[in-house]
Amino acid sequence: MNLEIEEKQATIFDIQRFSIHDGPGIRTTIFFKGCPLRCRWCQNPESHKSGIEVAFYKERCAFCFDCKDVCPEDAILESEDVRINFDHCSTCGQCVSACMNDALRLVGKRWNALTLLNEVLKDKDFFDDSEGGITLSGGEPTMYSAFLREFLPLVKKEGVHVNMETCGMFKWDNINSILPFLDLIFYDLKLMDSKMHQIYTGVDNIMIIENLSKLAVNFSNLQARMPVIPTINDTQDNIADTVRLLKKNNLETIHLLPYHNLGEAKLPGIKTDLEPLDLPTDNGVYLLSAKKLFENQGIYVI
Amino acid sequence: MSQDRIDRIKNAVRTSRPGICTERALIWTRYFKNKENRKKHPSIQMAESLSDVLNKKSIKIYPDELIAGNFSSKRVGGSVFPELHGVVVMQDLFSFVKRETNPLEISKQEIWQLIKIIPFWLFRFLGFKAYRSKIDTFRFIADQLNARYYFINESGGIAHLAPDYEKLARVGTEGIILEVETLQEKVLENTEQWYFYESVKIIARGLARFGKRYSDLAFQMAEGESDPVRKQELLDISKVCERVPEKGAVTFREALQSIFLAQIAINLESLDNAISPGRMDNYLYPYYEKDLKSGALTREKAKELVSAFSIKMSEIVPVFSKLITKFHGGMFNGQVVTVGGIGRDGKDASNELSYIFLEVMDKLRMRQPNYHARIHKEAPGKYHDKIFEILSKGGNSPALYNDDVIVETLVRHGYDLPDARDYTAVGCVEPVCQGKSFSSTDAALFNVPIMLELALNQGRRFGSLLQAGPKTMAVSKMTSMGDVKQAFETQHGHFTERLIKDLQAIERANAAYHPTPLTSMLLDGCLENGFCSTSGGAVYNFSGIQCVGPVETGDALYAIDQAVFQDRKLTLPKLVGLLKQDLHDEKWRVYLRRLDKFGNDNEKVDDYTLYVLDTFTGNLNGRMNTRGGRYTTGLYSVTSHQYFGEVTGALPNGRRKGESLSAGIAPSNGQDRLGPTAMLSSVNRIDATNFANGLNLNVKWDSNTIRGETGRLALKNIFKTYFRRGGMQVQFNVFDPKTLLEARDNPDAYPNLLVRVSGYSAYFNDLTPEMKDEIIRRTYISV
Ligand code: SF4
Ligand code: SF4
Repeated sequence: MNLEIEEKQATIFDIQRFSIHDGPGIRTTIFFKGCPLRCRWCQNPESHKSGIEVAFYKERCAFCFDCKDVCPEDAILESEDVRINFDHCSTCGQCVSACMNDALRLVGKRWNALTLLNEVLKDKDFFDDSEGGITLSGGEPTMYSAFLREFLPLVKKEGVHVNMETCGMFKWDNINSILPFLDLIFYDLKLMDSKMHQIYTGVDNIMIIENLSKLAVNFSNLQARMPVIPTINDTQDNIADTVRLLKKNNLETIHLLPYHNLGEAKLPGIKTDLEPLDLPTDNGVYLLSAKKLFENQGIYVI
Repeated sequence: MSQDRIDRIKNAVRTSRPGICTERALIWTRYFKNKENRKKHPSIQMAESLSDVLNKKSIKIYPDELIAGNFSSKRVGGSVFPELHGVVVMQDLFSFVKRETNPLEISKQEIWQLIKIIPFWLFRFLGFKAYRSKIDTFRFIADQLNARYYFINESGGIAHLAPDYEKLARVGTEGIILEVETLQEKVLENTEQWYFYESVKIIARGLARFGKRYSDLAFQMAEGESDPVRKQELLDISKVCERVPEKGAVTFREALQSIFLAQIAINLESLDNAISPGRMDNYLYPYYEKDLKSGALTREKAKELVSAFSIKMSEIVPVFSKLITKFHGGMFNGQVVTVGGIGRDGKDASNELSYIFLEVMDKLRMRQPNYHARIHKEAPGKYHDKIFEILSKGGNSPALYNDDVIVETLVRHGYDLPDARDYTAVGCVEPVCQGKSFSSTDAALFNVPIMLELALNQGRRFGSLLQAGPKTMAVSKMTSMGDVKQAFETQHGHFTERLIKDLQAIERANAAYHPTPLTSMLLDGCLENGFCSTSGGAVYNFSGIQCVGPVETGDALYAIDQAVFQDRKLTLPKLVGLLKQDLHDEKWRVYLRRLDKFGNDNEKVDDYTLYVLDTFTGNLNGRMNTRGGRYTTGLYSVTSHQYFGEVTGALPNGRRKGESLSAGIAPSNGQDRLGPTAMLSSVNRIDATNFANGLNLNVKWDSNTIRGETGRLALKNIFKTYFRRGGMQVQFNVFDPKTLLEARDNPDAYPNLLVRVSGYSAYFNDLTPEMKDEIIRRTYISV
């Protein structure tokens, strides 16, 4: 499995200004493209592959087939739901420029450290007044360790607070080298049973649990998080095991995230093998009962 | 305080259907039909006819009330001003009851009474008298009735002031008469000044008598009252009105009562718009403090009185024709109450009354008054906390004003520093000095994008052969953005000149035929100078012209630059051809819409909006009105962006013919794609100090974004940055988008949904269907 992209450029699929739920204050969240996990409930399936992709949004399509005229690879399909034959597509992007209806888009853009720095500094004044900063998210930001080693020192020189969200699947060196530049880490836990983890995320959880223990020792501002996926990881057993892991690592709090099925709507437009989970969006009921379970066992939920 | 009482009064006002009151129109007409009266000096005419109205109009004290005074014969009502815009308004007489937007109750008999006075005013109303030549007169009236390029509000009167209520409360009409008598002795009899002083004395006496009438009424009502508690309340009202407004107020309650009666009277004098009590927390505080000390008042009791006063401000509505409603929708009289801010000495002037007003505002959430809060760097933390707590709970008020920028702006435009510090907004967002400015802040509204339409068609509208503006270069000959700008500037300059010519004619007509002695009596400078405010007697005399649609125009220019000169996807004639066909080719429309727009923190795009603003302020620079003040620019549009949108052709930014323009300085609908920080960064590129007539930035949040502690903090902090970087003003619309859709489809279910339109709050149901849709469409900012 590829856990590392040894490049000085990063592929980023979104930069969201005015994020107020990804750490303290007003933040700019950078979504890196590429992830070693394939969680079935993923809300950003377009983040999985590390390369640039073409995505199709069928509600906007006017069936004019201007895209077909310009495609050098003959990769445009004329069906209603699917426009791109990904096996032929070279992601040259010509169809995207040709489509006047915004029905085709390139997902992912290459950034070097300096241009990304300038982009995030646009909201520096807002960071300063709100004690906010930037959040590295994804995908899995640690995959871009080489890039971050160049980017983060620049950011820190400007006095910007840095939070990183990670799935925990990384080579220790990749995080260790950037640790001095991080102010906060959101660490996602999903399932404690390794086999189940394999089934729902595509990988086992051995490395993730190991990395958590290492970080707990080496980094002071670590915040565990868990997406509450109804009936899948909100079981008594899984929560009890999670509590045990947290306590073992002297972690006293967990941040719970409610489940949305918004990601599933994106699946047909991109190249993916992911299948919909077919669960309804949590209107808060599951989150609340999971919260109770944690709190009953002495873990404070935030 | 008795919350029940306040709830009952509020409910009575809220459930009353607004109506038209004929009293002022009829009494005024009777006065002027008398030939002897018509021979008198205009100042005397105005003072006498207004006194007549105050003396003869029906007066009422409603159940539970503590502050007496009624604007009109209806619980919620508005008056007709036949000598001003009344004739224009009366063309709608038969449709008031049935019209969809802002319907107004009026009986058949009342309609008939008004019809009978039309012939008398038909060739006597102000707009008709503005020009000597008949050709100019008819051109002007036709322009007004079919506004395309600009709309002049001043033909309905000037108003728009924050009267010196501090002085009225302190010395009473008695004190003012004493002052005037001394001044009058120094001038020759039968001179302009002498007549002016004479008129002030007449109306001062008229106002004093108005108080006595309520005193008598309350006394009579008390005699017939069986409930001993209410009986005592009525006797108290009688005692208060016996003293004020004639005498200087001694108590907090007397001060409020004195001010309210004057508020009614000024609203009956000329245009009933934007008569603003202003910094009430500031000038009422000495009364509050004294009463509290003496034990005559408690905080709760003060809150009750403020609530009673505040509700009464919603008892007035403007009587506008359908046309005027398009410019000024939402039953809005623009009476502003301002809290907080620095004092004349530069130190924070907020006090306990500021909090009382904020609490009352939050509790009542009514259409009027229009609550504004001043913000500055040194304001106490709890003041900021209170405001953002209210806003994050979903309140649309108060709108926020940045002292640090506004004071600098006013000084730059000629205010003395202490006067600038003593500003309050009137109407929507326009800063004036309390008691010293007679600034016609809503003199006119100017349609900027239509100048570009003319520039792209040699001075003609798309599809028209009429040469409306100067003949500028044909697009086929234009080879650079420089050529496009040149044509735009020529058209803009031409219509600015025409506007100023029309405005000055109306300004002179106001001075000659409609002086305002009561207004002048409460404006510093008028008495000292011996001149009416309409003749430039006040200390400050600005006129504000609103720049409407600068953002669309900037986006349109950027789109031309991009599509024609950078991408070279279109030639200029081809682009104009598309516009003339109203962009029916969807492909090109989408292409144009997708080009970058103002509001996304993109300097290249934003620069075009800055260019449009510079052109506008440049045209007004150095121009003076006939009262000796400067023409200044306002960046707010009330609801005229909707109307001007309706009459403006397709634009190169991908906007079709008839679609609304954006409000104030907000990005064009749905075009701020990068969220609020990027949007505010674009707005912060504008040098707000160029806009002495105020600026309106309307930001809409869905309630989810700003919910809870995280939301409240984000809201507070994002505007901390905006203000620190030079932002002048901001107001909020906070709601769940679903609520609005439901309210549109099922108006009965949401009778009280309050939204902010342009510096003021209006009930959603009072808006036109297009305005409702626009509010819904306007950018939702959410995470
Ligand atoms: S160019 Fe765009 S709108 Fe036309 S068929 Fe292709 S995807 Fe659809
Ligand atoms: S990105 Fe290039 S290769 Fe792929 S479908 Fe579009 S035009 Fe064809």
